[in-house]
Amino acid sequence: MEKAIAKSREKLPYWRKILDASLPVDLSYIPIGLACGILLNASGFNVWTTLMVSIMVFSGGAQFLIASLLATNAPMLSVILMMFFLELRYALLGSSLSKYLHGESLGFTALFAASMNDENYALNYLKFSTDKKFTPREALHVEHMTLVFWTISNIIGSLIGSAINIDLTIVHFALTALFLYMIVVQLKNGLIIVICILSGFLAAFFMVLTKSTLGLVLSTLAASFIGFLVEATIRKYKPKSGWLRPMKNPAGSPEDAEEDADD
Amino acid sequence: MEWNTTQHVWLILGCFCVAFAPRLIPLMFFRTRKIPDWFNEWMRYVPISLFTALVVKDIFISPEYTVTIVNRAPEMIAAVIVIGIAYWTRSMAISVVLGLVAVFLLAMVV
Repeated sequence: MEKAIAKSREKLPYWRKILDASLPVDLSYIPIGLACGILLNASGFNVWTTLMVSIMVFSGGAQFLIASLLATNAPMLSVILMMFFLELRYALLGSSLSKYLHGESLGFTALFAASMNDENYALNYLKFSTDKKFTPREALHVEHMTLVFWTISNIIGSLIGSAINIDLTIVHFALTALFLYMIVVQLKNGLIIVICILSGFLAAFFMVLTKSTLGLVLSTLAASFIGFLVEATIRKYKPKSGWLRPMKNPAGSPEDAEEDADD
Repeated sequence: MEWNTTQHVWLILGCFCVAFAPRLIPLMFFRTRKIPDWFNEWMRYVPISLFTALVVKDIFISPEYTVTIVNRAPEMIAAVIVIGIAYWTRSMAISVVLGLVAVFLLAMVV
């Protein structure tokens, strides 16, 4: 049965493979993108500026932030500054993907960077780390597939505009659920769980301290660096420690089994 | 003050610059250089730390950047449900859709 599915997958055209790989994000982008389009419309964006922002910025969090800041009449410089702090985290994402893009041309790298965001980063990171045959070009097309779904959802949301009335705080939870999912699939040993909890407390601490999303950057830097130091220390002095032992995956997907074999 | 379309376009161009630079510079820097091992090991902890921080921001941080749990019960319960669903199904789409349904129903009840 599984072999038959695998065989029929091989025959799929290229665009279907990309669609399959990006589908979880594509589907989640429909409700989030619609909500974002509605919010942008409410803050004064027309269809064309919505099209422009969804292609050029392409980040759910950033576009939600633009919409909410415009609603409070924030000056342009402070919107752009907030955006800078929010987008600074992509420096970390880019760094962690860079090893898979080794030796690509400058144009390709620029194109890849332009449409990278949290969600397609997570997809591509999982793909790169579990599937050795996954190429940078496929990763770029996964990005563009998610971009198409995001942009169309934004435009439709903008067109619907004020016509329908939905609770946007609830729709915003779609993003939270997406991040929660990404956390859960990465919890592979005891140490990662400890770092995850630590990161939560550090995030709250730094955000209250800085009163901005700069706190996100600081807590990410601190928690990831602590994780790295602790892991290096454990590996050096107690390599058989239970904290680093891989946990069982209840869904038992073959991709995970493959990855465990690599470690 | 209502913004006009020209101002919106300038805003988008400004946002594009500050969004594009942090995405491009690290990718460009490490494209040709050998990435040190310690850096790769460090970067392995970046996604989990970042996503946790974003979730904490969404659930526990108010727009004025104080820690709050007032009126956050639906999101908190729905978050636990999403964690359970994600753990058992490993499906992004199911986790997001059921999470939305959960927070919608909980917001009506709580």
